[in-house]
Amino acid sequence: MNMEAMFSERYFAKLIQRTLLCGVFLSLGLIFTGLAFTVAGSAYGPGVLRSGVLVLLLTPAARVIMLVYGYWRGGETYFALMSFVVLALLAVSILL
Amino acid sequence: MPELSALDFFILFFFGAFIGLAGSALGIGGGIFMVPFLVLALKLPMHQAVAASLVAIVAASSAVAAVNVERGLANIRLGVTLEVTTALGSIAGALAASRLPAPALQLLFALVLFPVSALMFFKGSRPPGKTPPPLAPSHGTSPFDSAFFDPALAAHTRYTVRNMAPASFVSFFAGSLSGLLGIGGGIVQVPLMNLVCGVPMKAAAATSNFIIGVSAAASAYVYFRKGLIPLELTAIIVAGVLAGAFAGIYALSRARSEKLQLAFGALTLLVAVKMLLKSLDTGGA
Repeated sequence: MNMEAMFSERYFAKLIQRTLLCGVFLSLGLIFTGLAFTVAGSAYGPGVLRSGVLVLLLTPAARVIMLVYGYWRGGETYFALMSFVVLALLAVSILL
Repeated sequence: MPELSALDFFILFFFGAFIGLAGSALGIGGGIFMVPFLVLALKLPMHQAVAASLVAIVAASSAVAAVNVERGLANIRLGVTLEVTTALGSIAGALAASRLPAPALQLLFALVLFPVSALMFFKGSRPPGKTPPPLAPSHGTSPFDSAFFDPALAAHTRYTVRNMAPASFVSFFAGSLSGLLGIGGGIVQVPLMNLVCGVPMKAAAATSNFIIGVSAAASAYVYFRKGLIPLELTAIIVAGVLAGAFAGIYALSRARSEKLQLAFGALTLLVAVKMLLKSLDTGGA
């Protein structure tokens, strides 16, 4: 593996890590807000909680989108295609 | 769904934290304990328990994967390839679960738990630290080959990945179990990658965790659309799981896990017996 590949590999890993952490913390923020609303008796509670859970469930899908992007940019067509198939399966599962 | 009391609230949060901690420290998802806990202790209907557990698994997997990927432990190429059949299986499992009555699911759960507890005893009672087969990368390379830095050995470990076709096939069933029963499926994926593909244990555990996030999400979507996710309860567990996972990642990652492994084996056996009794109790009538 040459230096350039090593570098892009590291950048790629960072991208995936940030995507996962963003999703997790956004979801956690929504969940805490939703719980606070629920405890306070606000009608918005369930809606915010629902969106928090939904953001969490979409986090792996966002990570797969990053994989498609990363492998496509890196010229690894086979793995870009595999990631795309996984993404398509997730889409089918959401929309089916 | 039963109304949650303040006590339930704390119990759920700490149970979630325990699962997250176990998941990040042991490298096994604790999804195996989530469903029995919700069904036996909180009297949640089986399908809702499975749904809540899947959401918790997505949380634990995402938190742990963020760290594993950055450390280069998870083999992403291998992971995404196995994700294809695993996700397919988990969607099929979730769709099948919605057609099965709760006692049937509980019986299946109990039957899966027995071999799992045996496996945990076996793993826990083996002397630690020995890295088994030093497979010489003799017969060429595959695009899945990888390497990671092992702090315990203070060296890079290189490995070749073999037998992708059978691994993909078996992954379908790992995914199905996950979607049916609300477990992660690591209990199948880790030994599969380790023994069949030749992936070292640490990389296999990290890659399995990486795969599980997607497969659990795929089946969780099915439960979500059917309105089977108990929102409040799930939200509290998720908060606990994430707190436990992050604590585990940063504090316990170097702790010795063999003793814990044995304790988990015993706990799993106990849970299996209780789930079996429960399924016979409700199913026999």
